[in-house]
Amino acid sequence: MDWLDFFQSITDGLLFGSIYALIGIGFTLIFGVMHKINLAYGAASIAGAYVSIAVAAYVPLPALVTFLIAAIGSGAIAFLIYLANFRFIPLASPLATLMATVGMLILIDEIVVHATDGMPQPYPALFADIYIEWGDFGLRGDLIFIFVLSLIAMVVLMFMLYRTRLGIATRAVAQQPVAAQLAGISLDRTNALTFVITGLLGGLAGAMIGASVGVLSPLLVVPITVKGLIVCVIGGLGSIPGAIIAGLAVGAFENFFLAFRGVTERDMYVMLLLFVFLVFRPGGIFSRSVARD
Amino acid sequence: MLDSKLVRLGAVAALAVAASFGVQSEVSSAEKTVQIAGFGAKSGVVRSFGINTEAVLNGAIEAINAGGGVKLGDGSMAMLELSFYDDRCNAEEGISVLRRIAGSDAVVAIGPTCSNVAEPLFGILQKTVDDEGDSGLQIPVFTDTAIKGGLAKISQWAFRNVPNENQMYKSLFQWISSEHPDLKTVYGGVEEDFAHSRFTWHKVMKERSPEAGYEVLGESKWLLNDTNFTTQVRQMKKAKADIVAISAHPFTTCGVLKEMKRQRVKPSLLVGLTSSSSMETLQGCSEQAEGIIIPTSFAPVTPAAKAAADAAAKFDGSADLHSAAAWEIVMILKEVMEAQGITADGDSVDADRRKIRDGLANLKETDGLLGKIQRTDEGEAVKPYLYVHAQAGEWAILHDPSQ
Repeated sequence: MDWLDFFQSITDGLLFGSIYALIGIGFTLIFGVMHKINLAYGAASIAGAYVSIAVAAYVPLPALVTFLIAAIGSGAIAFLIYLANFRFIPLASPLATLMATVGMLILIDEIVVHATDGMPQPYPALFADIYIEWGDFGLRGDLIFIFVLSLIAMVVLMFMLYRTRLGIATRAVAQQPVAAQLAGISLDRTNALTFVITGLLGGLAGAMIGASVGVLSPLLVVPITVKGLIVCVIGGLGSIPGAIIAGLAVGAFENFFLAFRGVTERDMYVMLLLFVFLVFRPGGIFSRSVARD
Repeated sequence: MLDSKLVRLGAVAALAVAASFGVQSEVSSAEKTVQIAGFGAKSGVVRSFGINTEAVLNGAIEAINAGGGVKLGDGSMAMLELSFYDDRCNAEEGISVLRRIAGSDAVVAIGPTCSNVAEPLFGILQKTVDDEGDSGLQIPVFTDTAIKGGLAKISQWAFRNVPNENQMYKSLFQWISSEHPDLKTVYGGVEEDFAHSRFTWHKVMKERSPEAGYEVLGESKWLLNDTNFTTQVRQMKKAKADIVAISAHPFTTCGVLKEMKRQRVKPSLLVGLTSSSSMETLQGCSEQAEGIIIPTSFAPVTPAAKAAADAAAKFDGSADLHSAAAWEIVMILKEVMEAQGITADGDSVDADRRKIRDGLANLKETDGLLGKIQRTDEGEAVKPYLYVHAQAGEWAILHDPSQ
């Protein structure tokens, strides 16, 4: 491997890692607010993308509108997940909600499989034909678009969290749920809105994955769930800046090892990275100290 | 008074019961059935394979039953009846399904879809017939889809009606060599974690193409559920091969073809995996797949093949190189059942299974949808085949090697 290959693989990975960051933010935001893991999040993200092509099958839509519908569809599914897996299930039992979301993941996956017979569905992309080349170095136009769109989504989310009443309420519930309630903030409403917001982000991520591959398949659900969880842990549970950095880092890391060691070893190194963080920095990238018992 | 009423009621009831028994025995005589079990993936990402196989099986069975059914050893006729099971393309579930089938009245099992199911599943069958030390299952399994090479030799109870990829790709590369003598090099793309695609690249395409005079420049690998093929296609681009052979299933085949278009990788010729000559590929990436050449053992070009395709469509499935094999299997089984004189009464299940196994083992040649199918001593088929290529969103016949 020469330097060009090195930079090429890192750059490709960083661009694709922005999707991992979006997925990781979804996991981490829900954990930050509710201290629960929503394992159905990746499935809802891909299902949102399927909703958008189902709508596009009836009404021809520009790609950007299709992406928007994916976000809205996933937001709606995320709200249903909140109702089915969190709102009416005792939150005191951590396993109850965790297992409920496992069941929801499988349910959503099978609904998609039954609706499509598992057949790959073409998904629209923007700038798919653009490939910028400088000698042997190249950049995919669609991945640059995905990277920029993901950055915009992250900026909007950060603005929402730190500059709006909803964001203040969300952070208040995350930090002190009892005090937040005493201040008149509705826990249920805030939790539900958090799910919808993460659903919107997830739908966008699902659409971006579909756009980057050019095809949607139920096969996408498990890998993005696993990657989202890894990003969430490396970034630090509940840390949004951590999820963003970790998403980009995991994308670059796995792409480097794909080029350097091959596809059969790639995931081994990503898992090793996860173990390294769990052992030496269990609080994630931005944790101040090693906080192990 | 009450007593006489009771007696009369009792007599009427007894007559009714006797009459119903008579009717029942007449019905069971007229509706004698031969139970056949089908199994394959009907959930998960390869669900379409199971749906198509079940549709084709139902179509074939309907055609046979409409013609009077199967003639049994005692001269009576019996209708074929299908039960279809979902194995989810999972080895454990496939084995569990086969054990259930073995415990039923089914005289034969048709399936499975996936090679990673077929391989361990054949392993729980009795390896050698009449080996009393081997307590493996004794039910003939006739496979329509699982295509990884050389699996039927695992057990003498296992039979397959799948195309011989070694022969198909050997012939294809030789034909390409004669049609395009200017092409000299091949580069492979392989879905490394799926039994069929991995076997077909490493043991078939990669070994057969040099025999036709090609130099293999290298290979790119990816996994079944990968989403980013940038690095692999870049490796492909660097190789600058004349022919790119992609041994992968439709989802990643489409992902790679789209990435090849982005990076402007334009080989002179594309060769695909047999399993990708399906509607899935055209649905996912017909534009990028334009021109890809694939050998296949099915195309609706004969009256029988058209009938199979129509029957599959009637049962909401589609006939392709995998599912159409199920049609041939049912027709072969009918011939074997009649030749072997199975009796299909409740007590003869084991004997009927053995007769069917022996009948299948002795076959040397059978009728197929595209012509005669040769049977090998190892329970495999040597099927006629065609080369198709993707053209304007459809699979069009490119060449018939038999002509």
